[in-house]
Amino acid sequence: MNASAASLGHDSHGHHGPVLQYQPGLPLSRGKLIMWLFLSTEIMFFAALLGSYVVLRFGAAVWPKPHHVHLSEPIGAINTFVLICSSVTVVLALEAARANKKSLAKTWMLLTLLLGSLFLGIKAYEYAAKFSHGIYPSAPRGMVYERPDLYYGSAVRARLGEPVIIERMKELFTKPEGELRPEEVTGRQRLKQVRDMVNDPNQQAFDLAVVADQIMPLPAESADGHGHGGGLNDTFSWLKLPVVIPGGNMWASTYFLLTGFHAVHVIVGLIVFAILLLYELGPKRAGMIENAGLYWHFVDLVWIFLFPLLYLF
Amino acid sequence: MKRLSALFWSLLFLAVPVLGVATFAVAPAYDIWLPKDVSEHGPAVDGLFYFILWLTGAVFIATEGVLFWFIWKYDESKSNGGVKYVHGSHTLEVVWTIIPAAVLLFISIYQMNTWADVKMRRPDMAPTVEVIGRQFEWRLRYPGKDGMLGTPDDLHLVNDLHLPIDEDVLIQLKSMDVLHSFFLPNVRIKQDAVPGMKIPVWFKAREEGVFDIVCAELCGWGHYKMKGRVTFETRESFDRWLEQKYAEQEATQPADSESAAVAKLSPASLLARR
Amino acid sequence: MSTADTTAAGIEHGTHVSETAAHPQPSPSKGSLSTFLSTYVFSKDHKVIGLQFLFSTLLWFLVGGLLALAVRWQVAWPWSDVPVLGKLFAQQGGQMSPEFYTMLFTMHATVMIFLVIIPVLAGAFGNFLIPLMIGADDMAFPTLNMLSYWFMWPAFAAFSASFFVEGGAASSGWTSYPTLATNVNAAPGSGWGQTLWLVGLTFVGVSSMLGSVNYMTTIILMRAPGMTMFRLPMTIWAMFITAVLQAFALPVLTAAGFMQLFDRTLGTGFFTPEGNIVNNAVATAGGGQPLLWQHLFWFYSHPAVYIMILPAMGMVSDILTCFARKPLFGYRPMVYSVAGIAGLGFIVWGHHMFMSGMNPALGVTFMVSTMMIALPSAVKTFNWLGTIWGGKIQFTTSMLFALSFVSMFIIGGLSGIFMAATPVDIFIHDTYFIVAHFHYVLFAGTAMGVWAAIYFWFPKMFGRTMNEFWGKVHFFLTFIFLNGTFFTMHILGAVGFPRRLADAYHYETFHHLQPLNAFMTYCAIGMVATQIIFAVNFFWSMFFGPVAGRNPWNANTLEWTAPSPPGHGNFDYQPVVYRGPYEYSVPGVEQDHLMQTDPPHPAAAAAAAAAH
Ligand code: HEA
Ligand code: HEA
Ligand code: CUA
Ligand SMILES: [Cu+2]
Repeated sequence: MNASAASLGHDSHGHHGPVLQYQPGLPLSRGKLIMWLFLSTEIMFFAALLGSYVVLRFGAAVWPKPHHVHLSEPIGAINTFVLICSSVTVVLALEAARANKKSLAKTWMLLTLLLGSLFLGIKAYEYAAKFSHGIYPSAPRGMVYERPDLYYGSAVRARLGEPVIIERMKELFTKPEGELRPEEVTGRQRLKQVRDMVNDPNQQAFDLAVVADQIMPLPAESADGHGHGGGLNDTFSWLKLPVVIPGGNMWASTYFLLTGFHAVHVIVGLIVFAILLLYELGPKRAGMIENAGLYWHFVDLVWIFLFPLLYLF
Repeated sequence: MKRLSALFWSLLFLAVPVLGVATFAVAPAYDIWLPKDVSEHGPAVDGLFYFILWLTGAVFIATEGVLFWFIWKYDESKSNGGVKYVHGSHTLEVVWTIIPAAVLLFISIYQMNTWADVKMRRPDMAPTVEVIGRQFEWRLRYPGKDGMLGTPDDLHLVNDLHLPIDEDVLIQLKSMDVLHSFFLPNVRIKQDAVPGMKIPVWFKAREEGVFDIVCAELCGWGHYKMKGRVTFETRESFDRWLEQKYAEQEATQPADSESAAVAKLSPASLLARR
Repeated sequence: MSTADTTAAGIEHGTHVSETAAHPQPSPSKGSLSTFLSTYVFSKDHKVIGLQFLFSTLLWFLVGGLLALAVRWQVAWPWSDVPVLGKLFAQQGGQMSPEFYTMLFTMHATVMIFLVIIPVLAGAFGNFLIPLMIGADDMAFPTLNMLSYWFMWPAFAAFSASFFVEGGAASSGWTSYPTLATNVNAAPGSGWGQTLWLVGLTFVGVSSMLGSVNYMTTIILMRAPGMTMFRLPMTIWAMFITAVLQAFALPVLTAAGFMQLFDRTLGTGFFTPEGNIVNNAVATAGGGQPLLWQHLFWFYSHPAVYIMILPAMGMVSDILTCFARKPLFGYRPMVYSVAGIAGLGFIVWGHHMFMSGMNPALGVTFMVSTMMIALPSAVKTFNWLGTIWGGKIQFTTSMLFALSFVSMFIIGGLSGIFMAATPVDIFIHDTYFIVAHFHYVLFAGTAMGVWAAIYFWFPKMFGRTMNEFWGKVHFFLTFIFLNGTFFTMHILGAVGFPRRLADAYHYETFHHLQPLNAFMTYCAIGMVATQIIFAVNFFWSMFFGPVAGRNPWNANTLEWTAPSPPGHGNFDYQPVVYRGPYEYSVPGVEQDHLMQTDPPHPAAAAAAAAAH
């Protein structure tokens, strides 16, 4: 029996054979190779989502413009910038770790973590803005309606009939004018109008489009900046009446699908960074940092596709 | 003993092509075969089926036959000399790639015309009838006197489709709820009905008769019973039938006040009703 | 063979270790629970994980088979009382309801595909064989490997639980087409059952994804010295390319699954068109496209059908050469054709959608690519025939199953040509012709290949061989009954007999087909009953079968140089590879096989030179 067989069963890992040698394959470590392979599965995952977005968007009869759905390009651009910066800092952390500058590496890593969190924070702010305008898909129906049709009318009516709303409206209608902000004074007027229109059982022709416009006016095509048109929902934040955004449901579905899955990936990355921060970031950890960085660049890359698709076109 | 078992196994593999071919040969005698076809394009479809059947049948017999022959001939117990120590043959690989490639390419091109006839060359005409799948029935809508669909004088029917023979008919296929598939076995027509889509289906029937409409796409628990009937008849009797059904509808409509009310519902009244 | 010598230079030459020197198995004899758990339950050893997959899938195979019997019962004798099983799901005195029938075939297919065939090929045999056949001590990432098995359990749980929730298990077919599947009101099983189905599917997906990246890494980086890519056995090539297919196709299904899940739970409308009203319920949010699901689903599930056959093709290639005592005919064409099938597999998905309302012009392109995918399969078939030509065939049970794989795959493949021809598909789409096609490739093909592999590698797994006599009885009866059940489906399809119908005999066109269906059901019952022989043989042989040596079949590949069963770390010497895996009956060599690790042999070198 030869030398290698003699070591049979004596190594510390409980192996019962020799430590095996292998044919040289690709010049990559196992960790790095599997990370690349994993990322290629991720590419297919996002390719499917993006592909679906394209199919749904171009198959749709109407698609809202970014400001119809209160999407702000500058905020999106800032977030893109934040994420790109974090991709830079993670590279700097790797460089520092390789050069055995442990505390510097930690600083860069911490900065990466902070930038990633900032990205999520801004994203959360954007989500909150959408939610406050009632733009989200929810079962069985969100607040978003495609057109001012019968279903829309009855939904507005139902909302106005809810006890809480009736209570708040009573309060509002009985308040002396002095206690109201100026826009609330006119708002009160318009709310009364809307309520009467929708509730009147024997009126002949009324225009649900007018109702929709009172509740949340859609900014004109040329309007720049945010789409705050001062509708009833903006004036009275408790009101939360259904709104009309042509194509809005599918827009919301795809927007939250894409950005949501991206955000989940960001969170996973942040967890990895947080775990890395627990260790000494010297050359020994360089491999791990590199893999985490690869992943992070991928997450960044996905966003670079998402930003123009969602915000600019 | 070993020889015997080898014989046994090779005969088992011989049974595959023998019984396989026998099954197909005997089936028509028991009427377990392509159902009667009354359409104009049907012979082309069936012809393709037979063509591929003959072709694959030949490949089937040849390959299974060779498999049997090798199993029979090269079993261990037969002292037929040594084993052929070969790793392959470049020539053979080329041959058995090129020949099937040519055959397959031929089939691909040969069939295209039939496909285009059935699914791509839509006749330029207004729909004869609209067929709407709904759990679990086929709703039919014939254009009324004005020849247009979607007007108040449309004729509404369920499951009882009548169509004229010897002329192109164009069906507008829709679905209200889930996927269905409009399958006329005797006309060699099948088309899924997809909610949100209007799909044109056309054909020309050659013979009178009454046949099944089968729903061929799973649409829920009642999928198995989503059955309709199609009656092919001459233009005159079709027109007569249409006339009669139309009169029947006119007669019953006022009585059916509930459905009339729903149809005439205005936005305001619907809101009030809730 | 000179390249091998240079690659192996500097590495000590491993000799075969005699049987007595084999290291004793790690045994949990200490009785401690934690050793037991770490050895058999939470083991990171690829062999244990492989066996875990094998046992789980066999168990689910039984479940899937029983579900199939229930399906067959209803098709043959609709609305008649179901014996034995009827008590379990007694609807009205043992008679099944139509919605129960839809649930049966949905779960039959789900179990068979996602819990049996895919995990038995990649999970069981991929795990067990990859490190052993390439000369590695384990997978590249053992913990990940363990996770890939344990991710199956939430799936097992979800699919099992779905039978007991309100409305019953998923019932919109294994294809889960919207809007039937997305709309909760559309069918009883479209409620919780469908949600659990999607959850289960996601876990199966995660499991497969973890497995596939691990397999690829292992095969790329952990081959024994001298094991170049073109010395890999076909099994490994097939597993490798299957892993590639999984890695690139599966994420698409996962994404689609999430989208369907959101449609059902969060009120998105990806697959629901505007104003869709099901079962008189209020229209749901819409604007989506039902066909989008079909595209995403088949983008995965067509490659998946090759995921479900390529590993079997690989294993069958190895078994055929071993028992024909002959080199594989056309090794490189075989490798290229596997790659070709995988590559073309990505561009043919539309052939499932010829009648779906997809643009018919697009259908033409899918038709052409589908026709072309028969080419690499043709190359494989002819090379298998070439392999047994002029050989010295040994009729072991394993060989019989392998031969029948070839025989049956031809049938299943040729019926594919009918369906690929778009005009013919108009008539046979969604009929039993399709059912015949895929049971020939999946059951008569893959499952027979799996049995060949079980009989072949059983000695390596358990150190004992299975009983050959009962093995042959098992083969013979399975072969007869499977053809009785499935071949007849072709002619049913020729009548247009539709699939997924709880009762088709009220149609004039089909009412005369009941006797034939009854015959098929008898055969199916026989087929399932036959498996009792297999189960008994399997378990009996595990404990009492004749002890096998390291290499009971005189095969060439690396796993046969390891002890049976191999210990932790697999090899008790450093394997070094000097040649390809198929050097059987080399002229001038005394033995009729030259293992990959056998030292260079002058006669072999001469023979190789002469052969080129
Ligand atoms: C392991 C699984 C597997 C495999 C390998 C295949 C292989 C093939 N399949 Fe199959 N298929 C399925 C599993 C599989 N399929 C399943 C599960 C479904 C149904 C899903 C559902 O709806 O539920 C399906 C459905 C399906 C359809 C859709 C039918 C319909 O719904 O209307 C089509 C259509 O083209 C098709 C075609 C093919 C073709 C052309 C091949 C080819 O790869 C076959 C190639 C092989 C050969 C051709 C034989 C060997 C070659 C020769 C002997 C050489 C000479 C041959 C000639 C010159 C012709 N398959
Ligand atoms: C791998 C896939 C696979 C396998 C193996 C099978 C196996 C079988 N199938 Fe299945 N089937 C499908 C995949 C499969 N099927 C799919 C995808 C569908 C389409 C569903 C849909 O429309 O959505 C389908 C649909 C389907 C139908 C059509 C239903 C319909 O459309 O109405 C029918 C009808 O006859 C049927 C029958 C059978 C039968 C009799 C078997 C028999 O071969 C079963 C035999 C079973 C065994 C032999 C079990 C043996 C058990 C063991 C070996 C375990 C031993 C145990 C230990 C050692 C522990 N199947
Ligand atoms: Cu309608 Cu099936
Ligand atoms: Cu396919």
